[in-house]
Amino acid sequence: MNAPAVDRTHWYGRGIKAAFRSVQVGVLFASYVGFGGLIHDVDFPLAAAVLSTALIWALPAQLLLVGAFAAGTAAPVVALAIGLSSVRLLPLVVTILPYLRGRGGRRGLLFLAAHYVAITLWVEGMRHLPTLPAEGRRPFYFGLVTVAHGGAVLSTFVGYALAGTLPHALATGLLFLTPISFLLALTRNARDLVDRLSLAFGLALAPVMALYAGTLDLLWTGLVGGTAAYAAHRLWEKRA
Amino acid sequence: MSLDPALWPYLFVILAGFLPTEIWRAAAVVLAHGLDEDSEWLIFVRAVATALVAGVITRIVLVPTGDLVAVPLAIRVGAVAGGFVVFFLARRSMLLGVLAGEAIMIAGAWLSEAR
Repeated sequence: MNAPAVDRTHWYGRGIKAAFRSVQVGVLFASYVGFGGLIHDVDFPLAAAVLSTALIWALPAQLLLVGAFAAGTAAPVVALAIGLSSVRLLPLVVTILPYLRGRGGRRGLLFLAAHYVAITLWVEGMRHLPTLPAEGRRPFYFGLVTVAHGGAVLSTFVGYALAGTLPHALATGLLFLTPISFLLALTRNARDLVDRLSLAFGLALAPVMALYAGTLDLLWTGLVGGTAAYAAHRLWEKRA
Repeated sequence: MSLDPALWPYLFVILAGFLPTEIWRAAAVVLAHGLDEDSEWLIFVRAVATALVAGVITRIVLVPTGDLVAVPLAIRVGAVAGGFVVFFLARRSMLLGVLAGEAIMIAGAWLSEAR
């Protein structure tokens, strides 16, 4: 059974409103302004950059792609690098999808929902979706997506137009938005012991893995840090 | 095979960018099939996802790329710490925390340029 259309519109609107009030989404826009500036600097066609936002929808992969294209790196090498670094999307999608399935959900719609999962939507989704009634979750999520995606495209244009006019220190500030906002958002979203531990372990392990774990260092950080946090959580529950 | 060189960036986006990212999302849809939102498995996968995103944060700060490289390590770490402290002092306000961290970073970048 699907929710009545009026209800769906209501929750879609709530998602749109939530996106406009989200610091995380604002940070995403600022980061895409930076992306727009970069493609201007390396002469990447604006329309292809907009296509990359629609199809890839993961800024680190897009930055890698444009940088590699400008450097003349062969497509299969770039595909491999992006493929390896994008494994991180898998756990994000797996954890958010149960909230988006709804009742009698169509499979195609799930693939579409999954396409828009990247760190920003994951953070905002995991913050709001569990608190919403089941029938409101999917429309709410697509409301978030509409604003985030539309704004990212618009921001790319703005960054392209502004390229070269931003003072250097401000451009550096744009790059710093991602780490500081993700850190605060994860801290805010951490509800219980396992969340806090996995956050702490991930922060601490990353430099070690960056040195010793090669190109898959982030995946190892996630697997080792997450497993340790989960094990601690199980031990804690047994004692309680 | 003849291909208009103007089309190459678009093809590059699809072949080297879209396919290698989308494959993981599609695999996740298949894997998540039947998983309940309270399942024990999901707690584990969420722990992995959280640790992974946390790893992204440290890596950008400690092993940066682009313009951040030019900013001394002490300022990068100081900006994170400052943002974190203000976030808690301002009763978990993301906006104030981000602004505080950014203020330290931009001032630091500007000063280290000026020298």
